[in-house]
Parts: sequence; structure tokens; C-alpha cells
Amino acid sequence: MTTTRSGLVTVTGFAASALMLAGCAGGPPPAPESDLSNDKVVIGLLNDQSGVYKDLSGPNSKVAIEMAIEDYLAEYGDQAVVTEDQIEIVMADTQNKPDVANTQAQQMYDRSNADVILDVPASSAALAVAEVANQKKKLHINISAATTELTGAACNPYTFHWAYNTQMLAKGAAGVVEDGGETWSLVYPDYAFGQDMVKSFTAAVEDAGGTVNEAIATPFPNDNFSTFITRAASTDPDVIGTMAAGGDLINFVKQFNQSGVRDQAQLAVGLMFITDIHSLGVDEFSGTTFTDAWYWNYDEQNREFADRFLDLTDTRPSFAHAANYSAAYQYLDAIQRAGTDDADAIIEELEGLKVDDVFLRNGEIRAGDHSVVHDSYVAKVKDAADVEEDWDYEEITATIPAEDAFPDVNPNCSM
Amino acid sequence: MSTDLETPLPTKFDVSDFDPRARRARSIRRLLLGTIALVAVLGLPWWVYPPIAVDIAAWALFAISVDLLLGFVGALSFGHAAFWGVSAYSAGLIAQNFGLPFPVAIVGGAIAAMIIAVPIGYLAVRRSGIYFAMVTLAFAQMIWFVANQWKDVTGGENGLQGVPKSFFGIELIETEAFYFYYVVVILIVAGAWLAWRIVNSPFGRVLVAIRDNSARTRALGYDVEKYKLIAFVLSAGIAGVAGGVFAISHGFVSLQELDWTTSGKVVLMTVLGGMGTLWGGPVGAAVIVLLEDRLATSGFDGIGIITGSIFILCVLLFRRGIWGTAKNLIDRARAGYAKRRS
Repeated sequence: MTTTRSGLVTVTGFAASALMLAGCAGGPPPAPESDLSNDKVVIGLLNDQSGVYKDLSGPNSKVAIEMAIEDYLAEYGDQAVVTEDQIEIVMADTQNKPDVANTQAQQMYDRSNADVILDVPASSAALAVAEVANQKKKLHINISAATTELTGAACNPYTFHWAYNTQMLAKGAAGVVEDGGETWSLVYPDYAFGQDMVKSFTAAVEDAGGTVNEAIATPFPNDNFSTFITRAASTDPDVIGTMAAGGDLINFVKQFNQSGVRDQAQLAVGLMFITDIHSLGVDEFSGTTFTDAWYWNYDEQNREFADRFLDLTDTRPSFAHAANYSAAYQYLDAIQRAGTDDADAIIEELEGLKVDDVFLRNGEIRAGDHSVVHDSYVAKVKDAADVEEDWDYEEITATIPAEDAFPDVNPNCSM
Repeated sequence: MSTDLETPLPTKFDVSDFDPRARRARSIRRLLLGTIALVAVLGLPWWVYPPIAVDIAAWALFAISVDLLLGFVGALSFGHAAFWGVSAYSAGLIAQNFGLPFPVAIVGGAIAAMIIAVPIGYLAVRRSGIYFAMVTLAFAQMIWFVANQWKDVTGGENGLQGVPKSFFGIELIETEAFYFYYVVVILIVAGAWLAWRIVNSPFGRVLVAIRDNSARTRALGYDVEKYKLIAFVLSAGIAGVAGGVFAISHGFVSLQELDWTTSGKVVLMTVLGGMGTLWGGPVGAAVIVLLEDRLATSGFDGIGIITGSIFILCVLLFRRGIWGTAKNLIDRARAGYAKRRS
């Protein structure tokens, strides 16, 4: 197992002052009493390190978590409950298979003594890990899975859902309707994610006063979308919304552009990461609208984070990277306040907490269903001519306030 | 047509059957192998992480069920995930809805797998070779689509969560994978024993005859399709036990269980271990499961490349698989020894 001690840049000032103070008798009050299991805090990062979700989260999320540890140590200095040597990150690959995710999660909790598992993309894998967390009574903070089940029927006290969900992804549709995109055709892959997305999108479009002409199911996975695109265009909609994700999305967009439908109808994408735009090229996507949980070039604070991230990884962070940072930081911060890494104590610290950090704006960790709500954004992909630097792909056209993006506590959830 | 199950086909004439010294040597060898197998089965959760040990046991039995068809009937089923998966879902649903102890759920799952195997087998055994593989694959994919769409029952893409491991309220077994292993391993060994019995019975001899020359077996008066169908259904039942164990152990069932890659993986294990040996499957299963587990935490991102290369190397260099090659070497050494003695 690659067990990496967080070999981070030590805050040199901290080290120096610690040396100086070692000789003095009085000095500042000693670090608060801490009560850590195994005398350390182990953060497990369980995600796709080899497959389709590698870029949007993957190994670079470890860098984000390391940044969070660095910031935590810098923030609390010698008052930190957890010292640098006491924090460990362990990492494993789910291959996006639920059974692998399930076994790896068990191993992380049992053998590596992980106190929390972060990330876990792919809904089925995420649900499998949430199940383990509940059994072992250890924390799981999910970042990159989309399903509302995590905070719905499958919710449990030990699982938090940090970044986004299928409902929130549909909220951007309202903005598009207000801008004149009143009639929609939806094309969706016929499996749980696609079906959920169509439900959320239809509701969002209709709430905003638009109409959905039709929702067309496609096989999943699928290579050839041309017939579906033609059919979607046949009702002459203002907007064609695709719920395809990952490799299917890339195929869909290529074929959409080649078919010439692009000139008649605007494209809206259900779930898209900035890494998707980067891999296919901004040209192919320009004009597309989607809902984003976070964008690196949104304001100064984000940019600063993104610059640090760029120095370490040579890429800009996706929202999943920022969310991993945020979750790791808030977790450590909760340990700081609780003085322990005991899962139940941390849950008490986190529940109902109002947070503002680089990722969470107007954030709140909702106690009712452990959904972490925050401001989200309607993003439009820029024209190639407007792109000023690498990764400068998005224009944020509107902010969706937290209470609109994540409206209600999920009624299916009972803790 | 009357088929007499009690009449064994003539087997290879073996001198050692009549030589008391050779017979003693053989029984010692069997005892030795039996002891090694027993130690391996009982010691597994001491050496590897217990949930992984359960995975190995489940995949081992699954590989045995495939080998029963591939090695002894000569039929490559490329859709065995159907039985593993149907049983996993059935066992999961039984455990979830009726709160029965998990062995009952697993047996229920295996029965469900056998029921579904009857119509599939009925059609598939009429073909052989690549056509048999394609027919089984097609049915497995059909079941995959049904499970994907039947969201209310199977949970679709999200899978079936929260499958309980109830076992008469004995908490140690319900919560600790280490003790859980020792309960399910009884089912696994029972399934493996059943496979061994089938292969070493007169019925099994007929299967081998069908594999070697089905036209001739038919000419001898055996109803080839019937024999193949029975073998197919029994194999599905054994795969079902394995799938049920896997589902209960993980506490959930996902579509992955029905995916064609699952069928592919188990064929890989069987071939890697050595087909037609029955015990090669478990060796292949242990290698693949342990390898995948190691690679998942190694930070290396080419898991498919590694397992694929091993498969290619195995096919190129050790046609008989790991177990088959080892067995062959032992046999050759023995033959050489016997020659020197005489």
C-alpha cells in the first residue's frame, strides 16, 4: 500500500519558533489535549486512478488534500491538535467498480486505520463505500459521485455529500430558460444517472416556465448518437440537453457539432467537468451551458488556490479537486475543535456548520441529510477567441444561491 | 433412448491400479495434496485480509463452475456472470426482504440461478464452440439489461444496498469477516466437492466423452443434449453459490456482477489456473484477486495491462495453466523416477 507521509513543506517559521520556544520555560499554552485514534489522523483517498475519472479527480486530489493539510498546519501553528507527523494520506484505486471500492474501503478503515475516506466517484461505488462507512462507524465524505441516493434512501449518519448532486446540476437549466431557451429536448443514457438527471432537468425547466418537448433515451454506453440528435432536433427546440457523461459526452458533442444541429439549437450539458472541455478542446464546446460547482477563475480567492495547484500539478483544479481540499480542511478543522478524531464527535462538529472557504461559498453542512449545500454557478463555455490562457474556458453567467441549488432536505432520508 | 447412468465408459488402462506400491504412493500423494488444500482453505484468512479471503473463495468456486463446463464438457460459457449475478441479486433480495440467515439466502440464490439456467442451457447446448459462447454471452447481456432497467427491484446502476449478513444473531460472524469466512467456506467447499463428485462420477465420464467426441457418444446411445443441459444447470448452481457468497460478503449487489467483464474474468482465472483440472480455477482466482488487490493500492494505473500480459504469457508459455503445468511436471518427474527404478 502506498502510504505516503505528508511530506509537505514545513512551515519554516513554525519550526524556527518552536526551536526558540523550546528553551523558554513559560511560552504559549501547550497544545490542547488531543485524543487521536492510533495517535494519528489517516485520510483515505479512494478514487479512480486509472480510468475515465482519473483526470477530473484522481491522483491530483491527493495534492489538494496535501494543500489542505499544509493550510491547516499553517493556520493553527503550534496550537494544532494534529501535528504534521500525525497526518497520513493513504490512496487506492476503485477502478470505478463497486466491489473493488467496497473491499478497498474496508481495507482502508481496518488495516490502514483510515479515519475518513474522501472522494469516490461513480455512484454505485460511492453507495458501496457509504455502506461500509455505516457498518464500520467511520466517516465517508463523498465528493465526486452525483447520485442523490447518498443523501436520500441510502443516507447514513457517517456519510456526507460535499460537492454536487443530480438535482443541483439541473438548476442551471432555469437560467437558460430565462435567457430565452424555452423549449428543450433531452437526450439521456438509459441508466440510473441518466434517468435521475432527466427527472431533475424536466422539473427545473418546467419550474422556470419552459417546456420539455421530449426526452429521448439512448443505450449506455453508446458510440453513435446521430439518430438521437436528429430526433431531438426534429421538434425544433431552442435547447438540446444531453445527460451523457465522460466518454459518451465527448462522442455526443463531436457528433452534435458535425450534424449541423449546433446552428439551430443551443447545447446544454448535464454534467461536465472542466477536464472534459480541456480534453476535447474549447472549440467543440463553445456556447454550451452547464451547472458548475466551482470554477478556478471565478474570483481572486479561487485563482490563488488554482495558482498553487498549478505549481504542484501543472494543471488547473477541477471542482472535485477544490472540493477534496475543502472537505479535508473542514475535517481537520473539526478535529481541531473537537480535540479528537472520533467519528461521532466529528459528526457533531460538522452537522449544521456554516462554512465559507475557497470551495464552499455560503456553505452549510445540512444536518438533516448530510448534504453540503453551497452557491453554484451557471457556466457558459467561452468562444476560442475569448480564451486568454490555458484552462480559461468558462464564463460564469449567474450564481445559483445555495438554498436554490440544494433546496430541500431529501425526504427519503432518515438517519 | 435409454441411458444408463450406472455404466461407466471404459477409462484409460492404468498399470498402477494393480501395483500395490504405486497405489500406496498414490494414496500418500493424495493425502499430501489434501492436507495442503485443507491448510490453504483454513489458513487463508490468516495470511490475507479476511474480506479478500472471502473474495478468493467465491471466485475460486466460480472458476470451478466454469471449468466444469470448459474443461469437462468442452463448452466455453462466456455468460456465466448471468448465474453469478442472478444468484447475487436473488440472495441479496432474500436476505433483505425476509431477514433469513445468509446460508439460506445463498442457497436460494443458487436455486434461482439454476432455474434461469434451464431455458438458457436448453438453447445453448444445441450449439458448440464459438456459437455456444456467443449464445451464453447474449443471454447474459439480456439479463444485464433487465437488471439495469428493473430499477425498483435491482436498484439499476446504483445496485442493491444494505444486504444484511444475518446469522442466527451471532454477532461475531455477522460483523467480523474473519469468522464469516469460516461459515461461507463450508458452502464453498461443498460446492467444490459437488463439482469433484460430478467429474469423478459415471456421469462425468460421459461428459468427457461428449467433449472428446460428441458424435460417437451419441452413437453409443447417450442423449448428448440432456447430459450437457444437466451439466450446464449444475454448473450454474455452483456459480450461484459463489455469487451468493460474494453478494452477502460485500453487503451489496451491483450491475458489475452481471457485466460481461465478470464472465471474462472468471474464464481468465480458469485458463490461468489450468482448465480441465478443477483445482486450477482456485489457483487462478487467488492469483487474480490478490494481484488486483495489490495493484489497486500500488498507485500504478495499468491494472488491465498487467492481467492481460499475464494471460498472454500464460497462453503462450504454459498452455496448461499454473496448476496444469505443475501437475505435468510432477507427473513427468514421477514417470522418470519409475523408469529409473525398473
